[in-house]
Amino acid sequence: MERKQERYYGEFGGQYVSESLMNTLDELDKAYEEAIHDEEFLKQYHYYLKQYVGRENPLYYAEKLSKAYGTKIYLKREDLNHTGAHKINNVIGQILLAKRMGKTKVIAETGAGQHGVATATGAALFGMECTVYMGAEDIKRQELNVFRMEMLGAKVVSVTSGSNTLKDATNEAIRTWAKTAEDTFYIIGSAVGPYPYPKMVKEFQSVISRESKKQILEAEGRLPDVVMACVGGGSNSIGMFADFIEEPSVKLIGVEAAGLGVETGKHASAMALGKPGTLHGMRSYLLQDEDGNIELAHSISAGLDYPGVGPEHAYLRDTGRAEYVAITDKEAMDALQELCRLEGIIPAIESAHAIAYAKKQAKKMKPDDIMIVCLSGRGDKDVHTVADYMAGKGYLN
Amino acid sequence: MENRIEQRMQQLQEKGEKAFITYMTAGLPSMEGCKELIKAQEQAGTDVLELGIPFSDPVADGPVIQDASYKSIQLGTNLKKVFALMKEVRAEGVELPIIFMMYYNTALYFGLENFVEECIKSGVDGLIIPDLPLEEQGELQQFLQKEGAPILIELVSPVSADRIPTILEGARGFVYCVSGMGVTGQSGNFHKQILNYLASVKKVSKIPVMMGFGIEEAKDVAPMKEVIDGAIVGSHFIKLLEANDYAPKAAAEYCSRFKKELNQL
Repeated sequence: MERKQERYYGEFGGQYVSESLMNTLDELDKAYEEAIHDEEFLKQYHYYLKQYVGRENPLYYAEKLSKAYGTKIYLKREDLNHTGAHKINNVIGQILLAKRMGKTKVIAETGAGQHGVATATGAALFGMECTVYMGAEDIKRQELNVFRMEMLGAKVVSVTSGSNTLKDATNEAIRTWAKTAEDTFYIIGSAVGPYPYPKMVKEFQSVISRESKKQILEAEGRLPDVVMACVGGGSNSIGMFADFIEEPSVKLIGVEAAGLGVETGKHASAMALGKPGTLHGMRSYLLQDEDGNIELAHSISAGLDYPGVGPEHAYLRDTGRAEYVAITDKEAMDALQELCRLEGIIPAIESAHAIAYAKKQAKKMKPDDIMIVCLSGRGDKDVHTVADYMAGKGYLN
Repeated sequence: MENRIEQRMQQLQEKGEKAFITYMTAGLPSMEGCKELIKAQEQAGTDVLELGIPFSDPVADGPVIQDASYKSIQLGTNLKKVFALMKEVRAEGVELPIIFMMYYNTALYFGLENFVEECIKSGVDGLIIPDLPLEEQGELQQFLQKEGAPILIELVSPVSADRIPTILEGARGFVYCVSGMGVTGQSGNFHKQILNYLASVKKVSKIPVMMGFGIEEAKDVAPMKEVIDGAIVGSHFIKLLEANDYAPKAAAEYCSRFKKELNQL
């Protein structure tokens, strides 16, 4: 049988899942396409984005940061959303779709717990039974988020297979889904997974760039020169890029985590050093060893600590439409502290990677040039990590 | 040369026998131990052996095979070494049909053309790739057209429904019917409509129909004996091997008993 090219982004994407999920994915795609063209559904989605998530959030002109680095820097304030990050945009969309499809249960994978918390939140709001799969190692490292999910009524399942981290939790969620798809919806948190997930996540996150575009036109009367976001699996970045991909004058930059430095092997830069392969139902760039086994990613930021990347990013990279760069733990932590002091904003460590590269990029820009950086989340969840890091204790992630 | 799996299927059909197929993870307890287990099973009358190539993210496997894969990777098992093992067992006269059960990334990383070439050279007869559904098979199939290349075994599940005829269209060897919805190694509670499902596959299939996932003893498939041509045992076989320190004798006893009972149902 021929490959279904509409399920691909160039060479990337596809549906590398077991046969037992193929009809499920087809149903999901049909249901999604219907929903997304149904005004009632969209009305509902936008209602919750406004009244529950708190959108639209500001596109904030970071005056002191701009002055310090000599170009106009705007921050898209996803950190001001309910639950503290962009993750909720996608959860609301997928959970409304789950309800529409008549599902009563949702499952999710989580690494640091942010997507787990967002899913548990959505499940509480819409009265769905929620189970979150989390690696046993991550459960130890993120006790507080485990407690949050439980407070919200979710069940957190400890995954003890492989490396006991996010990729294994994702495997377990996929296994569970294959058994229970009749009544269960799998809410994937990043722009990864088998088609149609990368497409759905992009659509539900594209509100970030839609708002930004409108806001920058209001503020500056023109499009930005650069749009930038951090990339783990790539959900906030694909949302930040979405409405600018067709604007050739806008430079798109994705910032991966270089961990201790890509040259040390302790990093999470699938685009910098990964090779194409298949994992979690998709074909994309992946960190792999010499036998094609998936390697563990390393980053101080749990949200960027993923050995792969969404397939559309792989395509944007290969076609040259977007540029992908990497920022080390140290650079990110420096930028985090700088943003705290300069702007009074404590960013998530993930988002601090984008801020760190914004500083470098600014040097190549003129004073009147405009850059938008996606501030994907707030740093409250990271305070322990930052404290340990500053005390020289290394980090837990 | 005719494919060993197809040859065996034909022989069984002529004798009116059901096929007994086992799964074990390659490289356990060691490469040498694994070789002894292959030989013991051939002697004991196992019809086809699935040799699992361990992968870091075995998403279609339950806990038993996950653990076995993990252990095997820790012992240093990789595709190259399993090819070497295959060459040895073939050189030593083993004619048992052998299938590689593996994840797509392992073959992709190796390079598909090179992978198929090595399969031909080392006498691999079939491939089962649970994360490569029909729509994604074209890329690999182009290399499998070569003389002596392994055949790609198709899987169907209870929810495959209208996909079944399309999947069976070009299928060779046998069709692997997953008995439950989930992953390998969930015992007992078979899918409620399993009988209807197997019957519907049997009705349209021109090749033998095998049932796998969750089978421990021959009697487990007694209710389905009219609609299947054989049974596949994976997780239970691994557990049995572990409980018996991978003793070839224990494996052989289990296999010959299962094969005998399967044909007396």
